Amino acid sequence: MAKTQAEQPGGPSPDPQAYVAQVMAEIEEEVRLRRSSGDIPPKLERELDELFLAHSPVAGRGGDLTEALRMVDAATFVDPVVPVDSQRAAGAVVKKGMRTVLLWYVGWITHQISQFASAVSRALHIVEGRLKELERKVEVQRVPGAGVVEAPAAHRADAWWVAPAVDAVASVPGRIVHAASGDGWLVRRIIEAGGDAYGVDPRTNLVEAGVLTVSDLRGEDLADHLRAVAPSGLGAIVLSGVVDGMAGGERAQLLHLIGTTLAPGGVLVLHSLSRAAWDDDDAPFEADLAPGRPLRATTWRRLLDESGYDATVVDGPAGADYLIFAVRATVPPPEPTSGR
Amino acid sequence: MSAAGPSRPPVAVHQFIPTLNPRDATGSHTLLLRDILRAAGWRSEIFAEAIHDDLAAEAYKHWTYPDHAAAGDVAIYQFSTSSVVASFLAERSEPLIVDFHNFTAPEHFRGWEPHSEERAARAHDDLALLAQRTELGLADSRFNERDLRRAGYRRTTVIPVLVDYQRVGAPPDPRVAAELAAAKAGGGADLLFVGRIVPSKGQHELVKALWAYRRLYDPAARLHLVGGSSSFAYLKALRGFIAELGLVDAVRITGDVSDAALAAYFAAADVYLSLSAHEGFGVPLVEAMAAGVPVVARRVGAVAETVGDAALLLAGTEPSYVAAALHRVCADATLRQLLVEAGHRRLPAFGLDAAAPQLVAAVASVAGAPR
Repeated sequence: MAKTQAEQPGGPSPDPQAYVAQVMAEIEEEVRLRRSSGDIPPKLERELDELFLAHSPVAGRGGDLTEALRMVDAATFVDPVVPVDSQRAAGAVVKKGMRTVLLWYVGWITHQISQFASAVSRALHIVEGRLKELERKVEVQRVPGAGVVEAPAAHRADAWWVAPAVDAVASVPGRIVHAASGDGWLVRRIIEAGGDAYGVDPRTNLVEAGVLTVSDLRGEDLADHLRAVAPSGLGAIVLSGVVDGMAGGERAQLLHLIGTTLAPGGVLVLHSLSRAAWDDDDAPFEADLAPGRPLRATTWRRLLDESGYDATVVDGPAGADYLIFAVRATVPPPEPTSGR
Repeated sequence: MSAAGPSRPPVAVHQFIPTLNPRDATGSHTLLLRDILRAAGWRSEIFAEAIHDDLAAEAYKHWTYPDHAAAGDVAIYQFSTSSVVASFLAERSEPLIVDFHNFTAPEHFRGWEPHSEERAARAHDDLALLAQRTELGLADSRFNERDLRRAGYRRTTVIPVLVDYQRVGAPPDPRVAAELAAAKAGGGADLLFVGRIVPSKGQHELVKALWAYRRLYDPAARLHLVGGSSSFAYLKALRGFIAELGLVDAVRITGDVSDAALAAYFAAADVYLSLSAHEGFGVPLVEAMAAGVPVVARRVGAVAETVGDAALLLAGTEPSYVAAALHRVCADATLRQLLVEAGHRRLPAFGLDAAAPQLVAAVASVAGAPR
């Protein structure tokens, strides 16, 4: 096998820590190349998870109550007539004899277990019925989550904020996620600048179009994705078109997830439309449908400061949008006294 | 600290444990600690809620303790899961030491084992229940000590779990060694993980990594999963997953094995790979270091603290990422040597010679010096 950069033959013993650090960097580079070359597409890696979950018990498949109840119903009867097949010649005869002898006892036990299971199943069906009724009532009052805001003037490769955003994240160690990534226009820029980036966007039609040119785009909700990321597993997070229309609860939840998944010293880049742009006649239609409206940039900075980030605000040239750079502190901040 | 006066009767330091098993880390620790306490001059017995048949002569049921109790006794509770032993001890008056080995968080059982999820949730309550009346909290790692502090334990110290890692250097089981040698003769790396087959240990992540490693680098590689299972649902899913990926001949699930068989697996292993979602210490990591097997491990819980610089620590479990790390360790002789040497340098910190005096001193700070 060819020697790697870190493996130099014949020389003095390398400094262990420096050598391992160099090896880790080379491994990350190797993975990046493998992914971009299509040797092992990220989509295939994700399909492995789905394949494994297909073997998990019903609760691991997403928690559909009706499906779970169907499995409960199917399992309520405990069969006392044990199979007697055997690979040994006399095995089946012996087993059948034992079954006959023990059936009076085993049958009595299994009858009670089946009765108990049937009672539990009945109770669960009643609960399911009442839950469905409650869901119908709650649905009317539901606050929808903020969708992705598509602002054509701001969400494009030649927008004013793209170059500084790419500069801020391209050299960070670890993976970089962009949301909402659309067809991968910003992911491409970050990869070209040397970053190990991938994209997340719930608009699967855009993702499917983008994967032709950017290998690692994932058609999923950002919050769901961050919940699946390992703690401190990301080097940088870039958000555009995501936070603008969020309501308070959703925003607080996202901040919490970012705090969990962003590595200490990691970079958060956040782009948002301004309130003025939101109220303009040319505002995207999502502005009317969103549960919230953009925060002022100074409010974001305050929120991020309180959450343990060192945040800097850059206002856009026309006052229509702004960009925030925030570096996560290496030491966790004190718990905030009140939620926002 | 209470000083033992000459007129007082000899002090006994008894241990309590939820389940005494012969081949798990907490069980082994408890048996070793009993021997150390006795050698130091204390009377010491083990009391458990459940006792494995192989150890029936080594322990008493916890509810028989009042028949053995004497004034001046000190109790050590080996805390690794929820148990009625916790409430039993909460109601007694003996000075209490909690030896905390951490427990798997409930979410790791969610969707797999509802009863284990419930039990894990109760472990939090047990830990809090004993905090106020515990005189000293012992933790295997700073990671575990942090959890003790959060639960309200005021006086704590860190002493590594007792690991008799010499067992991996024992003569290997000849039958197992021969089987492994025959497989190795056909080429391919041997990857090893030792631990119970439960969702938190992430054996399915290991299978995914093997799949990627075989696809990208080493089509003949094998994975050995050593350890019994306490999660039937997870084991069943794991077997189905392995079959669906066409890896039945490449993954061996051994169940519980003897010390000699364990030694054979470590002797044959090219890499020890751990992708657990949670580790409060990680005894097999130390055993891998003792066996001279380079370690690749996911950086979670106390793993980084246990292995120090003697492992490649991974931030995630993406199969291609893990596969690249495995390939590097298998192919880079310099890296292997550095990791193995670093492991050997760390070993003395976990040896019985190092931990025993610390444990005796910690116990003496509560029980007084043995007489």
